Amino acid sequence: MDEEEFPRRGFFKLVIGFLSALSAIAVGIPFLGTLIGPAVQKKKGHFARVASLDSLPLGEPVEVKYPDMTSDAYITQMTMNMVWIIKRSPADVTVYSPICPHLGCQFNWDPQARRFACPCHGSIWTVDGKVIGGPSPRPLDVLPTKIQNGVVYVELLRFQTGIPQKVPV
Amino acid sequence: MFSKLVRWINDRWPLSALIKLGLEEDIPGGASYAYIFGSSALIMFAVQAATGICQLFYYVPTIDHAYSSLSYFRLSVPFGWLIHGMHYWGANVMLVLVWLHLARVFIWGAYKKPRELTWLIGVFLLLTTLGMSFTGALLPWDETGYWATEVGTSIAGTVPILGDFLKRLARGSESMGQLALSRFFILHVAVLPGLLATLIGAHLIAFRKIGSVGRWDEEKRKRTGPFWPDQVMYDAVAGVVFFLIVVTLASFAIPRFSGPADPVDTSFEPKPEWNFLFLYQAIKAFRGVFEPVGTVGLPMAAMIIILLVPFLDRREERDPYKRPFAMAVLFASIAGLMALTIAGARSKPGVQQPTVSGPAATGPEGTATLNQTGEIGAAALQLPGQKAAGMIGNPGHGAKLYVALCESCHGPEGKDKVPNPGSEDGTVPPLNPIDKEFVSPDPEVFAANLDKFIQHGSTPAGPSPALKMQDFGDSNTLTQQEIANTEAYILQLNGVERARIMHPGLAPPLFFGLTIAVFGLATLWLLGARYKKGIPKPKI
Repeated sequence: MDEEEFPRRGFFKLVIGFLSALSAIAVGIPFLGTLIGPAVQKKKGHFARVASLDSLPLGEPVEVKYPDMTSDAYITQMTMNMVWIIKRSPADVTVYSPICPHLGCQFNWDPQARRFACPCHGSIWTVDGKVIGGPSPRPLDVLPTKIQNGVVYVELLRFQTGIPQKVPV
Repeated sequence: MFSKLVRWINDRWPLSALIKLGLEEDIPGGASYAYIFGSSALIMFAVQAATGICQLFYYVPTIDHAYSSLSYFRLSVPFGWLIHGMHYWGANVMLVLVWLHLARVFIWGAYKKPRELTWLIGVFLLLTTLGMSFTGALLPWDETGYWATEVGTSIAGTVPILGDFLKRLARGSESMGQLALSRFFILHVAVLPGLLATLIGAHLIAFRKIGSVGRWDEEKRKRTGPFWPDQVMYDAVAGVVFFLIVVTLASFAIPRFSGPADPVDTSFEPKPEWNFLFLYQAIKAFRGVFEPVGTVGLPMAAMIIILLVPFLDRREERDPYKRPFAMAVLFASIAGLMALTIAGARSKPGVQQPTVSGPAATGPEGTATLNQTGEIGAAALQLPGQKAAGMIGNPGHGAKLYVALCESCHGPEGKDKVPNPGSEDGTVPPLNPIDKEFVSPDPEVFAANLDKFIQHGSTPAGPSPALKMQDFGDSNTLTQQEIANTEAYILQLNGVERARIMHPGLAPPLFFGLTIAVFGLATLWLLGARYKKGIPKPKI
């Protein structure tokens, strides 16, 4: 290679490398942004009408299904949601999220044994949500609840699964 | 003429050179049936690509239509059952072949210098294949896939610090929905297949550049055999055997319909497919803060060790009889994985499944369910999406719902004539056998006939019937998915399979018989040709 040519060619390589890297970054950051952006957005919660107090039996957990407008990205539609409600007294309810705090399955109520049980990995909770068996790292998640004019309103929040702390997602 | 054409092409494009690169090679010790696993996995990849593309002509990757579009493909499109079944079983067979190939390469010491990179690329191929298996499972948007992915992505969520981010990145949102399906879809049909194809190319280039490892015995290595056509013949025979295994499984072990994904379902017992059972079982041994160790830590450590194998074991010795430690590790790992898998397959989730929900205060046993249409009038509430009659339900799941909700009036298995005072008939109409006016040989019509009653309920004729049919759909006591499952069960009681193949092209046993006959005749003809020409038996 010609001595004089060398610095010139070296500069060419620098130009090629620099322009390629810049272009890659210019496309790459927005590309990652589109993938990450919606994934980390916080959803706003809202209280939905779930049940009338009168319809709930006293002291017995019930699986309550209720329709609610939900937004899943660009799809906003009426969907069925579900929560577990225990009427403690005529004016007091505890509402559990139906999602197992372990790895997100739907648990169930075993009326004979009077306990909640998850079919996936065998976690068991008392009627008060306390863990008495299985891998669940924390008690059942209690949801924010309001009672107005004899109607139970619930904010269906989701919490991080698999950790001992109850952290809203 | 032909050679002229080849020369013309070669002057313009390196055709012969590429074929030579692909096929011309001497294997030390000659060809062997022991070397077929890699090429068989490659053949299976081709089967997966072909059957996958075929399904893409019909599949719709949305939460409203994924399940129904695949059901339509499987039941109403001629040979849809075959293509889907081959894709399902082909995935399993491919995964087994990739694992066997890895074990074979390990035993032969084929990861040792200068083949370290070939090994590394191979491990990435294994990981990508596992990724295909994981992402593909969600696409039918059925109960099995939905819950496997819910748990699988939640496992990623248990990783310290990064967990929640990883889970969100996989799902595209904090919960499983359309964005998750879109992500898994594009990974499964574009990103991962592209990666697989690229890695396969890199794997083969490395393999050709360095050559076959051949036998470890120095004496036997002296005799060599060509890759083409010796090894390729063995590969072709093995490939056909695995292909026929896939056809057999697709014909006789048709994947069942687990029912449409239902996020509010509490009666489904999720359990992973065989390929992740070892992990499912391992999770149980780790509790509390140690759980991520079992779910993420151990599998990752195992993968890192597998990746590092060529750098951990740098001795030149390839003879497995002189590598007792390596062999002990291999067979202990295989035994461990198999023990965990078997234990996982046999294990019950640990808790007896309680009786499935029943309507509030209808019976002493069973959990109470309440349905609340709230301020929105029942008639005004029309949930969008697929309606039950158009979905293929899971009869096993429907049976549980039947016991909880229907049995008190219709009797066990729909057989009793439960008295209904004040009605014209005097009894609740039995469901097994059901009134002939409902029955249709077409399962969809049959289901639609039942659907009206389950959705909207009915009041029997008569002055004051004591029992009335509840409006399970309108009152949202059951989701549309649950109604589809219940309908599937009632059809099954009446001898009609909801998931019946309507337009098979050829019925599965007939297709299987014809395929075996064609391959059998071809084998006989080839054996005859060998006998006639006096070709000696191959030395294996």
